[in-house]
Amino acid sequence: MTIAAGLCSRRHLALALISVALLAFQISLLQLLATSQWHDFAYFVISIALLGFGAAGTILSLNRTWMVERQELLLPLLLCIAAVALAVSPWLTQALFGGFDSLLLFVEPGEMLRLAVVAFLLMLPFFFGALAIGLIFTIETEKIGGYYFANMFGSGIGSMLGLLGLAWMLPQQIPPFCALLALTAGAVLLTEGRKIMLAVMLLALSLVAAVMVKPTQLHLSQYKDLSRILDLPEAMIVAHRPAAAGQIHIVASPALRSAAGVSLNWSGPIPGTRAVFVNGDMVGTLPPLAETDNPRDASTYALPYAIRTPNNVLVLNAGTGAAVAQALDLGTGTVVAVEPHGPLTETLATNAPNRFGLLLTNPRVDWQTVAPRTWLARDRQSYDLIVMPDVGSFGGNAGLFALHEQPLLTREALRSAWKKLTPQGLLTITSWVDYPVRNPLRLLASLVETLEAAGVVDPIYHIAAIRSWGTITFCVKRTPFTTHELHNIRAFVERWAFDPLLLADLRPEERQRYNRLQDDSLFVLFDSLLDEEREALYRDYAFRVWPVSDDQPFFSQFLRWNRLDAMTELYGQQTLPFLELGMLVAGLAALILAALAALLILLPLTRLPRQERHGWKTLLYFGGLGIGYMWTELAMIHRLVFYLGQPVYAAALVVGVMLAGSAIGSALTGRFTVLRPRRFAALVAGTLLLYASLLTPLLQASLPLPFPARIILAVLLLFPPAVLMGMPFPIGLRLLNRLHPIEVPWAFGINGCFSVVGAAMATLIAVEVGYSLLLVLAACAYLVSVGGRFREMSGVREYDR
Amino acid sequence: MRIACGAPGRGLILFLCIVLLPLTAVSAGNDRSKERLAMVTEQIVARGVKDPVTLAAMREVPRHRFVPLVQAASAYDDRPLPIGHGQTISQPFIVAYMTETIQPGPGKKILEIGTGSGYQAAILAAAGAEVYSIEIIPALADSATQRLRKLGYAAVRTRAADGYYGWAEHAPFDAIIVTAATEFVPPPLIEQLKDGGLMIVPVGSPFFMQTLMLVQKTGETTTSTSLMPVRFVPFQRAE
Repeated sequence: MTIAAGLCSRRHLALALISVALLAFQISLLQLLATSQWHDFAYFVISIALLGFGAAGTILSLNRTWMVERQELLLPLLLCIAAVALAVSPWLTQALFGGFDSLLLFVEPGEMLRLAVVAFLLMLPFFFGALAIGLIFTIETEKIGGYYFANMFGSGIGSMLGLLGLAWMLPQQIPPFCALLALTAGAVLLTEGRKIMLAVMLLALSLVAAVMVKPTQLHLSQYKDLSRILDLPEAMIVAHRPAAAGQIHIVASPALRSAAGVSLNWSGPIPGTRAVFVNGDMVGTLPPLAETDNPRDASTYALPYAIRTPNNVLVLNAGTGAAVAQALDLGTGTVVAVEPHGPLTETLATNAPNRFGLLLTNPRVDWQTVAPRTWLARDRQSYDLIVMPDVGSFGGNAGLFALHEQPLLTREALRSAWKKLTPQGLLTITSWVDYPVRNPLRLLASLVETLEAAGVVDPIYHIAAIRSWGTITFCVKRTPFTTHELHNIRAFVERWAFDPLLLADLRPEERQRYNRLQDDSLFVLFDSLLDEEREALYRDYAFRVWPVSDDQPFFSQFLRWNRLDAMTELYGQQTLPFLELGMLVAGLAALILAALAALLILLPLTRLPRQERHGWKTLLYFGGLGIGYMWTELAMIHRLVFYLGQPVYAAALVVGVMLAGSAIGSALTGRFTVLRPRRFAALVAGTLLLYASLLTPLLQASLPLPFPARIILAVLLLFPPAVLMGMPFPIGLRLLNRLHPIEVPWAFGINGCFSVVGAAMATLIAVEVGYSLLLVLAACAYLVSVGGRFREMSGVREYDR
Repeated sequence: MRIACGAPGRGLILFLCIVLLPLTAVSAGNDRSKERLAMVTEQIVARGVKDPVTLAAMREVPRHRFVPLVQAASAYDDRPLPIGHGQTISQPFIVAYMTETIQPGPGKKILEIGTGSGYQAAILAAAGAEVYSIEIIPALADSATQRLRKLGYAAVRTRAADGYYGWAEHAPFDAIIVTAATEFVPPPLIEQLKDGGLMIVPVGSPFFMQTLMLVQKTGETTTSTSLMPVRFVPFQRAE
């Protein structure tokens, strides 16, 4: 009895340890992929993890008896292999297959294979870890509650440790520590007389130690900003700091200069600078020293200061402080600088005391480390000028930001900013000109609709826009521009050879004196947005240019699938540049993952016999559950990115709470003597429908709360649906086991496969329909799934009674 | 045999191209001249590039020798191709369009910022211009210099340096061609442009160049003109 009890508690410990390891590993992979590729690509880690779990489920189903009989050997062995995979798989993907580049997917066919290999390698730790977890669950079916708890507890701790690890370590340094945990889990389960196993463990330990001593170098995509800057002569990283919100790099090179969109009339020097990166993406350059001339003052960014000198300025996403320095240079009284990335501010202050540090300690500047949307909701001040972050990037971003949420560019965000303006206040925002024009159009549409929502009858009297060769700067004023202000604008554009684009009293001949365009389509489009033709433009333009909302905050997603034919006709083989590459890469990756899921999860199951008559019902039920669950989870993650300000916080919190809640829900079903799947499905669907309508307003309303309070509220909001969503799967399995036991392995496999595909597709669907509708679709998936087996289940319910 | 830069006169270049191209095809074994001719006809002439000097140069320069081996099969495709270091060799049409816009020819002194693979410099040289080319990434500069020499474009003067400063020793230039997108036009480059000179700058994503900007210096005034190689006016205001 004592030995059995001891073994039982050791299994609890081992289960908790491997759960910690897998979740922490998953969190580290999020940042690893966000850095080496790009932010949205990182979400494929979730699909990869599910792929590993799904494949493990299949293998376990096929070899259940064999594995249970050899449990004493297999459990430590599997955990040992999982440990090696945890340490080595990121190393292999970077060292051996680190050449993978998501942007090359479209020009080098071999990249598809490379992506598949990378996905496969990263799946291995999850596969072996899940095999061990699944085997413990299989052995301990009778005491499943305690084991679910260990799994849940471990997952929660793993999420937190993953975040903590990212705050102190580089993402590639974390996997060996996860491997140590897995190895400890294996050691805990070692039984006496297993000398060979002990030797294997020592070998694994030495391998893990080797990776720990010499972690892999992160291989960045050659198209990442950081890679490109590091190619400059004498470029060197002068500061590198890990951070959960994104690791920071500061790079110096004698060839580094920055003067975004400076006038062609600027004859002064362009001072050298240092470039700053978060997860390999450039967030800006350091402002020039105070005593040097600032070319930014000869760019369209200086427009609001030419109109009137503000008493106080709010700079949102202050980043490296370029806009703050300009505000101070141009005579502003006080500046509130809002930057959500605290470690970034600290790193800049330490490493650039003369450029950034002086801004931080300047008594005229108040730095706030908070997400801009939170600040807009919480702050009670009014401002003479609000500076929004730039829209687009120089040279475009090849559509990679199509899946990128931009909560500061939604209707709701602009309305919040508008309300914070003083009566004479200005809101300014600069967009890079793209071709065909998309960003400036959507921006103007958003500004015009903001004005109209505020009761402005004729927006043109409140909007001024000027154009350089590469940028368009908008200024929106609460009250109409005065004649004096219009005069100031004209004097400014004349001095720096810019052209006015929108002014209340603009003459057509003023529009392209210095920066000529090949045709007047830009002006036609701009004018259309200001008159009754706006709706026609929204309807007929080849791209989506209407404003975006908090529910669908993808400002850079312009693609209209129903216009692809027309685009192809227009551009022929040149269609690709006009598509949103982010969408295509995500679509391709989803296809590859679906193929891997079919190959690794479903194909092995074909060895088993099936009951043809019931096969489609199993597919519908367990497939629906897989899709419904993942759509809910991904919708929640994306909603909380907006709420918590950082993707990695949102991912860690949602994955942790959903796992924990579902484990509790699943454990609770063990106590049910009567199975009522219809009731549970209705409950899940009803809850999701409720969330679809209430979640966004609730999050918006509670945005001003302090960060810890928002975390608690988010946990409270996530927990009820997570518990409910943990129930239909085990209920379905129990029923299936009684009715058609031959179908049980298939149920696991189908659920795993659809989870992988569902997770990979979730963001693509959200881009098209919004998060609320994604939740509605998730609810529908739950309803459909139960509909598939409804009659039989009713019968079982009677039988159970 | 290759035509080096500085060849005397466009007519002669054309003549030599016509006469020598078949010879090089024979000597090189497979110089893919058929693909090149098809590229010029289908991708460049069809889109409106007419300048005979530009077209002759595009027919002559073996683009497949300027791309990495892994991309050689796609060398004559209608798209840019990666050459490493996050850089690309531009789509053939863009190279032709930029060349036609600045009108290279004998006696014209042209500065190129961003040698990359060396393909654009070779086209300018083949068109008869005196070419100076600067590349900031040393590895690219080295490989492009060697490639240009090997292929017979030794007269192209190259150097690994920061293009921001231009090449003051050889200024002023009739034209400056910036092949790498830049978020600002360096003032020294405008200074090194002759009065009446032209500068062409790409504006677009690093991977997919989409539009070009022509900078013109007239006395103290510098103006820009956006050149859109592909017209895009799918929405028209109702009359």
